[in-house]
Amino acid sequence: MWKKYINVLLAFTRASNLGFGGGPAVVPLIQKEAVDRYHWMTFEEFADALAVGNTLPGPIATKLASYIGYKVAGWTGALLALIGTILPTLLITVFLGDIITRYANTPTVSAMLQAVRPVVVVLIAQSAYDLGKKAFPSKSTWVIGVIALATLYLLNLHPGILILIALIFGYFVYGKQSKKA
Amino acid sequence: MQSLWDLFVAFFRAANLAFGGGPAIIPLVQNEVVNHYHWLSISQMADGIAISSALPGPIATLLAGFVGYHVSGWFGVLVALLGTVVPTTLIVILLSNILMKHINSPSLKGMLKAVRPVVVVLIAKASLDMGINSFLNIYTWTIAVITAIAVIKYKIHPAFLIMFSMVFGLVVFR
Repeated sequence: MWKKYINVLLAFTRASNLGFGGGPAVVPLIQKEAVDRYHWMTFEEFADALAVGNTLPGPIATKLASYIGYKVAGWTGALLALIGTILPTLLITVFLGDIITRYANTPTVSAMLQAVRPVVVVLIAQSAYDLGKKAFPSKSTWVIGVIALATLYLLNLHPGILILIALIFGYFVYGKQSKKA
Repeated sequence: MQSLWDLFVAFFRAANLAFGGGPAIIPLVQNEVVNHYHWLSISQMADGIAISSALPGPIATLLAGFVGYHVSGWFGVLVALLGTVVPTTLIVILLSNILMKHINSPSLKGMLKAVRPVVVVLIAKASLDMGINSFLNIYTWTIAVITAIAVIKYKIHPAFLIMFSMVFGLVVFR
C-alpha cells in the first residue's frame, strides 16, 4: 500500500512539474505515467477520464489527478496526486510573487516588471486566439460572441453571469437542435 | 476571517465557472481580484500571471497561491486552493460514473458549444484591459510586437519569453 501512495505522488509530481507549458501540455505526461509506466488504467479508460475532465470547469491537471489518484489509492491517493500536481511550483510562485510585490517599487524589479507585462498581454491574447479557432464554428456562435462583448462593455455584468447564461442557452438551443438532427 | 471567506468565494467562482481549459480562468480571476475585491492592481495581476505562466503546473492553482498569499498569507493560499480544486475533485470522484454515461449527450455538448465564444471574448477583454495599462511607451509596444512574432511565428515557449523580457527590462529600463 505504501508503495502505491509513493507512486501516485511521484507520478503526478513528475507529470505536472517537469513538463513545461501548463494546461493541455500536461495531459500526455499524465497519460504516460498512468497508462504506460504504472498500468493503472487502459488507454480507453484514460480517454474517458479526460473526456469527463474536459466537460467540467477548472484546471484539467487537478481533475485528472483527483480521478486517477482516487482510482489507484482512494481518498488518500487523490490527495497525494493533488499535492504532487500543485505543491512544488505553488511554493515557488508564492515565494517569487512575494518578492515581486514587496520590491515592485525598487528600480530593478520595476524595470523587469515593466518589460514583462506586455509579454503577458500578448500571451493572453494568443490564448484567446487559440481557443477562438475552435469556438466559432457557425454564425450563431459569432452572434453569441458579439452579444457577450456588447454586454460586457455596456452592462458591466459579472462575467460568471454571462457564462451561466451561455450554458443555459446552449442546453436549450444547441442541445435540442442536435437531438433533432 | 472575512478576507479568508472572500478568497474562498472568489476562487470558487472563478475556477468553477472556467469552462474551456486553462486560460479560461484568467479573466475570471482578474475580475474577482482586480475589479470586485480590489486586492491587486491590474499590473500586479499581470505580474502574477507572468510568474504562473513561466512555471509548470496549472495556472489556476498558481494564481490561487499568488493571490491567496498576498491577501492572507499561508491560510489565504490554502483557502484559495480549496475553492479552486475541491468542487471539481468531489465531482470527478463521486459523479464520474454518471458523467461518463452522459458524456456524448447533445445537451452537454450544446452547453460547451455556447460557452466557448463567451470564454474567448472574456480572455480577449482581459488581455485588452491589461494592455491599456502596460503599453506606456514605444519600448513596451516593441516588446509586445516582438513577443507576438516569437509566439506566433517561432512558437517559442512562454517561459523563455518571460525570462528574456525581464533581462531586457533590466538592461533597458533600469
